Amino acid sequence: MTALSLRGLGKDYGARKAVGALDLEVARGECFGLLGPNGAGKTTTISMACGVITPSRGGVAIGGVDLRRDPHGAKRKLGLVPQELAIYEELSATQNLRYFGALYGLAGGALVDRIAWALDIVGLRDRASEPAKTFSGGMKRRLNLAAGLVHEPELLVLDEPTVGVDPQSRNHIFETIKTLHAKGMTIVYTSHYMEEVEALCDRIAIMDGGAIVATGTIDELIAQHAGTGIEITVAGEVAAAAKAAEAHGTVERTGNTLRVIPTAGFAPVIAAIEATGATIARIESHEANLETAFLKLTGKTLRDEAA
Amino acid sequence: MIGAAIKKDFWLLLRDRGALISLFMLPVIFILVFGSMFTGGDRGTPRSIPVWHAPGDVRGENIVATLKATDGFVPVMQPSADAVRAAVAADDYPGGLIVPDAGPVELVVDLGQPAQQRGPLQGALTGAVMQSMAPVPFSTPPLVEAKTPPGVAKPLANISAFQVTVPGNAVLFGFFIALTCAMAFVNERKHGTWRRLLAAPVPRWKVLLAGLVPYYLVGVIQLAFVFSIGIVVFGMQVAGSPIALILLGLSNIACAVALGLLFAAIARTEKQLAGIGSVVLLVMGMLGGCMFPRAFMPGFMKSIGLGVPHGWALDGYYAVLVREGTTIADIAPSIGALLGFAAVFATLGIALFRFER
Repeated sequence: MTALSLRGLGKDYGARKAVGALDLEVARGECFGLLGPNGAGKTTTISMACGVITPSRGGVAIGGVDLRRDPHGAKRKLGLVPQELAIYEELSATQNLRYFGALYGLAGGALVDRIAWALDIVGLRDRASEPAKTFSGGMKRRLNLAAGLVHEPELLVLDEPTVGVDPQSRNHIFETIKTLHAKGMTIVYTSHYMEEVEALCDRIAIMDGGAIVATGTIDELIAQHAGTGIEITVAGEVAAAAKAAEAHGTVERTGNTLRVIPTAGFAPVIAAIEATGATIARIESHEANLETAFLKLTGKTLRDEAA
Repeated sequence: MIGAAIKKDFWLLLRDRGALISLFMLPVIFILVFGSMFTGGDRGTPRSIPVWHAPGDVRGENIVATLKATDGFVPVMQPSADAVRAAVAADDYPGGLIVPDAGPVELVVDLGQPAQQRGPLQGALTGAVMQSMAPVPFSTPPLVEAKTPPGVAKPLANISAFQVTVPGNAVLFGFFIALTCAMAFVNERKHGTWRRLLAAPVPRWKVLLAGLVPYYLVGVIQLAFVFSIGIVVFGMQVAGSPIALILLGLSNIACAVALGLLFAAIARTEKQLAGIGSVVLLVMGMLGGCMFPRAFMPGFMKSIGLGVPHGWALDGYYAVLVREGTTIADIAPSIGALLGFAAVFATLGIALFRFER
């Protein structure tokens, strides 16, 4: 059974195509990661999938319910945790959850129970009656998560849920998501932190330029797209060296260091760099991993994006 | 969902001291200040008028006797004509009379004052002088009697300045709910809660309505509070039908909240809203007569005042607060105009509002 289905989904802003025509299936109970550099179209895709913005083309189904035909039925199955702290800081944690729970038709004892459950799961029960503005950044992030959870959705969509939080709260959020996933909740997770996606997600889609460039499990992506990379520190004309190396692989330049995933071995890359007159000061090889797959597919590193 | 939004917005408002002060305290402070300014400290007390005439001058003695006989003036004899002029020039008195042996009586008054301010005093003193010189007393039977024309309800006998300043400030500050309401929309967008609302299983029209209804209720509470203070603390009276007053108030707030929707549709940031919204509301308030009654404005300005809802609201409030027996039918034009403005603001607001900005 499919928890989330995107069929030819796309969005234009005037003449600019923000998202092309995406096709994606997320299975029920799956933890699915969406990776991509800034401007890749991740948030636009998530916003369309959650009914926040209207697509220019294509369709969305949540738990088999078409979002256009039955928007309320589809949205009832969904919980969104936006990238922003989408909470009312003047209100207490309980008051926030009471309001967001009411949006999903929860009332009375059921709402009280759901609030207690959501506060427990994010570890904020002892601060339930305090205004959110008195919370640390990490606690606010946890309340942001609880607000998306309070109606216990079938599908939880998290857009960069750990941005700007302390390591302790980050671990807490991380463990909460693992717990929810273990209980069978379907998760769609976007993050700049590759290690989070690697640790959490069963499958990953890599987005770039408004399109999905690869989908698969981590092992599949590494096997299909990652090659062993080399890091070359160059002295001399670095720009010319980088240009020469591009003819033999994917190159990411940081200062005078070139990170290269060769298409046909290391030797042609080194020869091309040396042919420009540049001197190679250092060479270091890297094992194939998700990061090298990402670099090969998008030509960018997520570490730079996150910085 | 609407009920939850009302609770949420009331919680938020109760924690926002700035909004509470501007919605509930500022109108009362303005009413107190403006009401006291227009009432003055000598309401009901006869005004002292410095007078000089030559000893034994019959004309002068008659004028003094006539002034003494009126309720409004107390003659204060001066040692010389120059003493009268000096006292008026020093602003010790609003005007004075100098009765020479022959020739016209000199009315000493600062002609630099606006005609609206010096006119009543000038007219009353001229009348008193003429009365004193009449060969036959004309106070009984009166030659001139003031009467309200048929079709216009009789006004209250003693109209205090608060009958005007309470509704004036109630309308001025009541329309500021438009700004509070629009600010709530801008903040929802800024803090991301708007995305949560759009992702929730709630129709978009309901999301919009949930942003307006709480502020409609706050506006009603604010108006009830200001009028209650007006009645209890400042002695404001309701001469007409209380039901008419309530309907007018509800129409007034509907218009203000609809304007809030239009502001929310146009403004993208708090700065834009605070800048444009405040100026628009203050200009509308001034044109409509909230700060300076339209009755004292020149004709063309009076007409312009009816181009904004504030003018219609104040006309309605003035009728129902001051004119005895005013009914819903009497203020129907004001109610109709306010609802018409509300419909225009709401239509424009809905047309320009972008959920997915």
